[in-house]
Amino acid sequence: MDFAFTAEENAFRQEVRAFLDAELPPDKAFNHEFNEDPDLWRFAFEFTRKVGARGWIGLTWPVEYGGLGRTQTERLILAEEFTARDAPMVNAIGWGLAAGALLVGGSEEQKKRFLPGIAAFDRFWAEGLTEPDSGSDLASLSTRAERDGDDWIVTGQKTYTTWGHHADVMFLAARTDPEAPPHHGISVFCLDLNAPGVSLAPLYNMAGGRQNHTYLDGVRVPGTMLIGEEGKGWSYIMNAFYAGGGAGARHAEMRLMLDEVINYCNTTTRGGVLLIKDPIVRSQLAELELMVETERLLSYESLSNATNRRPPQFGGALGVVVSKENKPLFAQTITKIVGPLAQLRQESRWAPFDGGAEAWYRWSYANHAGGTSQVKRMVLATRGLGLPR
Amino acid sequence: MDTTLDDGHEELGRIARQLFEARCPLATVRQLEQDDLGYLPALWEEMAGLDWLSLTYPEALGGSGGTLVDLSVIYQELGRSLVPSPHLASAVIAGEALVRDQSSRHHDLLASMVAGRAIVVPALMEEDAGFGPDAVNLPSRATPAGYEIDGTKILVPYAHVATRVLVAARSQAGPDGTTLFLVDPAADGVAITPMPNIADIPLFAVTFDSVVLSSEDVVGEIGQGWSLLGPALDRATVLRCAEIVGAGKQLLELSVEYALQRKQFGRPIGQFQAVQFLCTDIAIDTHLTELLCHQAAWRLDNGLPARREVSMAKAQASRAIQRIVHRAHEVHAGVAFMVETDVQLYTRRAKHWEFDLGDARYHDDMIAAGLEV
Repeated sequence: MDFAFTAEENAFRQEVRAFLDAELPPDKAFNHEFNEDPDLWRFAFEFTRKVGARGWIGLTWPVEYGGLGRTQTERLILAEEFTARDAPMVNAIGWGLAAGALLVGGSEEQKKRFLPGIAAFDRFWAEGLTEPDSGSDLASLSTRAERDGDDWIVTGQKTYTTWGHHADVMFLAARTDPEAPPHHGISVFCLDLNAPGVSLAPLYNMAGGRQNHTYLDGVRVPGTMLIGEEGKGWSYIMNAFYAGGGAGARHAEMRLMLDEVINYCNTTTRGGVLLIKDPIVRSQLAELELMVETERLLSYESLSNATNRRPPQFGGALGVVVSKENKPLFAQTITKIVGPLAQLRQESRWAPFDGGAEAWYRWSYANHAGGTSQVKRMVLATRGLGLPR
Repeated sequence: MDTTLDDGHEELGRIARQLFEARCPLATVRQLEQDDLGYLPALWEEMAGLDWLSLTYPEALGGSGGTLVDLSVIYQELGRSLVPSPHLASAVIAGEALVRDQSSRHHDLLASMVAGRAIVVPALMEEDAGFGPDAVNLPSRATPAGYEIDGTKILVPYAHVATRVLVAARSQAGPDGTTLFLVDPAADGVAITPMPNIADIPLFAVTFDSVVLSSEDVVGEIGQGWSLLGPALDRATVLRCAEIVGAGKQLLELSVEYALQRKQFGRPIGQFQAVQFLCTDIAIDTHLTELLCHQAAWRLDNGLPARREVSMAKAQASRAIQRIVHRAHEVHAGVAFMVETDVQLYTRRAKHWEFDLGDARYHDDMIAAGLEV
């Protein structure tokens, strides 16, 4: 048992901080996920390329595939520091999902062909998993990919395509074998979003960002764009996140928000009393601190399990349930502390801390991305606790 | 970075679990609720033989180089098996305070405690039921002969078998201003009154009526009692959390087992998502408490500041154990309301644990205090 980072790991953290100090303007907030400002997006693209030039996109990947062969712990440190500074490292579908799937199931040739490009941010990847009729039950997806010579012809509809309108390619899951059991008939592809037959329709979310419906009408995908083996897409999707070096640093984002709230409570008087002296506010702040702390520990726990090659406890589902359920609760508790001014948007000069309370509350309902907490609870109950299906 | 227990911890946990299951099965726990002593002296001796009464003390004072993480592993098993024992009161709170006394005044007493021959219990809380240094207001008065104390302490565990009571008194105003005295419960002016309670564990009110004390009875320095007691209470708080974790794990096992075996509407109730989600609530609350508890213990073992982490663990644990027993009752439904079912043994103790060593509100306030600029 050891809750500390090593000296080398701390040195890497300093290196990351120095990079961010040099590259990020001090007075700009990004939150690119929910922002369509073209200037911000341009900056995000440039910044991400610089991260790639540093070798940090593929930090944990083997050197022969454009990575640096560094540890998962360093990847988590990178994620913590980037999140703490709201650094706009885009293309999470590329370096998380697509790279992860390639590392899990890609052939040697595929890894060498795709991964160095992803590590350098040569293309922007969109997510192509969710469909209108296949959300929580993703394995029921019905987008078809049919063989045509060496190529595939793809027909179907994807939805909630985050970043689709900025992207070059899509990490696509399609059914290649309708006769096989649902989990065994799915393959994953790299689909060119500029190919004939692809069309996007905007879908705006309440956080102020644009997602998309993506229509795929007989889109021709070359055989070389199949990732891994035919029919094994589901297992790649399930294992991709950690394989790509993905590390959850949601706690660092929560810390960032909570520090704003604490500062507000230390400097704001209501009814002649500083908010931080109000007993109810104190309990609410403690509750928020506990959410941040437990998510931090859960993140470190899954890191420990991954680096020590131990299977995750509770079917790997406990942390994700906590995180998904905390997200709206966290934002709601902040609005309770701030009170009536929590409804004010950034544009109002009366909005506390730049309208954070209002915006974070709207954003918090993005918590269903990647599956609802109820579905994760079902996994926790069955796979984690051994209760019957 | 590794948040998980080592193999040595796992082994210690297995030994503790086997010992407690053998010596103190739940049938014995039930008998002890009606027993005058309320604990098992033979098991107490056995724990002394294993060096468990002094595990984390300095070696010069009978310790065996154990860590608080080690002890927390044992406490998880005490909680799982609901073993009634004066360990937290005597070996942890009183013992760790005595260990920190720079004088050697009480080393003989400490040696008897380590050997399992003496029990010393802390008397902290007063009739207003407050916790913390500010809640210590029982006055101690300097007299030509020494000191005199007057007043009442409540919820004192195992006072009926105590060799000495460790009394926190107020000798002066100020940030500390508390003084610790060792008082013989048989001394003139000391009265012990049982406090019947939901957990059916031995808790007492101890009243001091002009009790005369000498400078030999002082622990540490006059007016600096909290500097000894505070660190001891932090350690005890972490261990109470570990006990809650052990109870949570057992309630999770009992609930899952029951949900698998109990059939209604032609299927195991564990197949209903409503029941599954109750079980997942128990798993989550228990697990988060364990992570916080381990972190706090590890920080104390490594001499790192841990005030915030200790309070986080207990703020979580106090709330968690209430939610956990509530969920266990929902899964078991009517049968958990019956005395013959084991769930209620946990439910009743959980109410004691929730408030012991500071409730969630107290620890919330400690956490918030750390956020003030």
